Amino acid sequence: MNEFISAGLIGVSLGAQYALLALGFTLIFGILGVVNFAHGGFYVAGGYIAYGFVSHLGVPYVIAVLLATLATGAIGYLFELFLVERIVEDHLATLMLTLGLYLTMSTGVLVAFGPESPQFQFPISGSLQIGKFHLPIENIVVLSICLLAIATVYLLMYKTDFGRALRALADDRQVAAAQGLRPRLLFPLAFGVACGLAGLTGALVTPILSLAPHVGDPVLATSFLIVILGGLGSIGGATIAAFLVGLVEAYSSVYLGGSKGALALFVLVLIVLVVRPSGLFGREVRGA
Amino acid sequence: MLSFKRYLLAGAAAVTVLAAASPSRAACELKLGVVGGLSGATAQWGNALKAAVDFVVKKTNDAGGLQVGSERCQITTSVLDTKATAEGAAAAANQLVSQGVKFVVGPVVSPEATGIKPIAVRNNMLVFLNSYAKNAIGPQWPMVFHEGPGPSVWADAIVKAAKAKFNIKSVVVVAPNDQGGTDIASVDVDVYKRNGIEATDEYYQRGTTNFAAIITRILAKNPDAVDTASSAPSDAGIMVKQLRQAGFKGPIGRLGGAATDEIVRIVGSVEGVGDFYWYENVATSDPKVQAIYDDFKQVMGAPAPENTTMILWVAASQVLLNGISKAGTITDTKKVAEVLRTLPVDDKYLGKGFWTGKSFFGIKQEIAFPFGIGMIIGGKMLPVQRVEAVDQD
Repeated sequence: MNEFISAGLIGVSLGAQYALLALGFTLIFGILGVVNFAHGGFYVAGGYIAYGFVSHLGVPYVIAVLLATLATGAIGYLFELFLVERIVEDHLATLMLTLGLYLTMSTGVLVAFGPESPQFQFPISGSLQIGKFHLPIENIVVLSICLLAIATVYLLMYKTDFGRALRALADDRQVAAAQGLRPRLLFPLAFGVACGLAGLTGALVTPILSLAPHVGDPVLATSFLIVILGGLGSIGGATIAAFLVGLVEAYSSVYLGGSKGALALFVLVLIVLVVRPSGLFGREVRGA
Repeated sequence: MLSFKRYLLAGAAAVTVLAAASPSRAACELKLGVVGGLSGATAQWGNALKAAVDFVVKKTNDAGGLQVGSERCQITTSVLDTKATAEGAAAAANQLVSQGVKFVVGPVVSPEATGIKPIAVRNNMLVFLNSYAKNAIGPQWPMVFHEGPGPSVWADAIVKAAKAKFNIKSVVVVAPNDQGGTDIASVDVDVYKRNGIEATDEYYQRGTTNFAAIITRILAKNPDAVDTASSAPSDAGIMVKQLRQAGFKGPIGRLGGAATDEIVRIVGSVEGVGDFYWYENVATSDPKVQAIYDDFKQVMGAPAPENTTMILWVAASQVLLNGISKAGTITDTKKVAEVLRTLPVDDKYLGKGFWTGKSFFGIKQEIAFPFGIGMIIGGKMLPVQRVEAVDQD
């Protein structure tokens, strides 16, 4: 029973982190139709920017996280504005471009900071002990911030004109443009928001796990898996799929082990895609 | 007529000058392949390999080159990143073949070793690799040499020391679920069992970043100790951190690649690591071993990488160059291999070593040097204890 409750808590915690990552990934696909292979790179960049501010400039961690979010958002904005935007209609070209950006970012970090993990600690440590459970306080804090950030994304997308404009562009770019919405203005902003989310996750999560140039690889794989499961481009689908993946990963790892657990997750995705090829909440065809 | 003579003389002079400047006359070039995971989770090990070869090559070239027969050869390198994968290593080996490279230092981990060996055999390429796989070397790969021994040589001494210090009765060995993990974990488990310790293994998918669930599973077995075996340094760091956060107070071992500095950084402090024991590639407390750091800085103008596998790679690279020099050829790899098998192993920094591997691998092509046992007890780092390697043959 202890393991069952513990796995549930771990699953929710993983799900919140995955959701934050997958939201950015699915936003870019849903609105621009671009599969952003550089998403893991923005996660790594968020971690290293926050680390740089804390360790080299003595900036308090909370401020460093905000700066990392803004910086990764700004990089994403400029990347879209000057590079992606020129070829945004060509899906293969954008795929190669974002993959190239990821390789450039991860190699740049490797050259600048070296292959070893630096010492980057979350400012709060210790665990809450409830009976036999040990709940790391840092995980609770990160979970809370992730949930807050997810709620903010929802407010942004569903309660603001900016969000409505982005959703309109995602639904039908030509009609939205005919109504006066300007993709060239909104796309870089959407890309910036999505990359900022990845950077925020990196700045929050790497101090509680580890920071290294390669940590973006599994992030990309997990984000991809979640948005496919939830339905490419679906914000609600990505969120639900993220928590589903987190819980399945936690329970299967606890009860089946690390190898069979990973297999269970992929079998689940396979079954869902056989039953619903467009994912849990995906559309049949992208309108944009 | 005079004009024709002038042209003839000028032409002859030009030919003479060109011949003197011709590379084929001036240069004897030995090109070494350097193959390893320079990016990805095992980048620390791959970059330690690269730094070691760079150091040995620069030192040799600065001294005028490597004496090969009557010539002094300048050494160059062709460095290729495998991302620690079998396919990456195979692709790198093929690329080196196309460049005419005959001698390769690396790769580092078992999947890479699996990828490079068939290509080395097909092309008579001499490879000096590191891998803790059960089939890292073997009679079917006569041109493949082993840079350092796996757990079959050193694990027993460390398990005995850990058992005596921490009174371990049960252990869970956790490693990635590819050959780089399973081959080492299974040998570690056997060694623990031989020492009267109840041992089980647990595996995780390579690429896992959060080990909280796997740790919950491990702790449900209520072990006295947990061993992170050959998990990547950053994976091991996260596991140690999350084990302590989950309330585990027992000793944590690492009978795999040494990476204690990185583990301590990820955990945050030596105190936070608690009780810890590990296989250290070399006896780092030995002043002779420490001397390599000064030499490296002097030659390379930069500090040596922190990972101590670098020191083993320096020794292996030097042994390879000694073999090439004694064989007197930079093309006949079979002749160099024959010389290597009989070459005494004596390293400036590590002391006397020996060739071994016959009883475990079926071929005596593995170098063994004295190694180290590291321990952190109660959050305090002890000096690494030097242990003489035991010849299993």
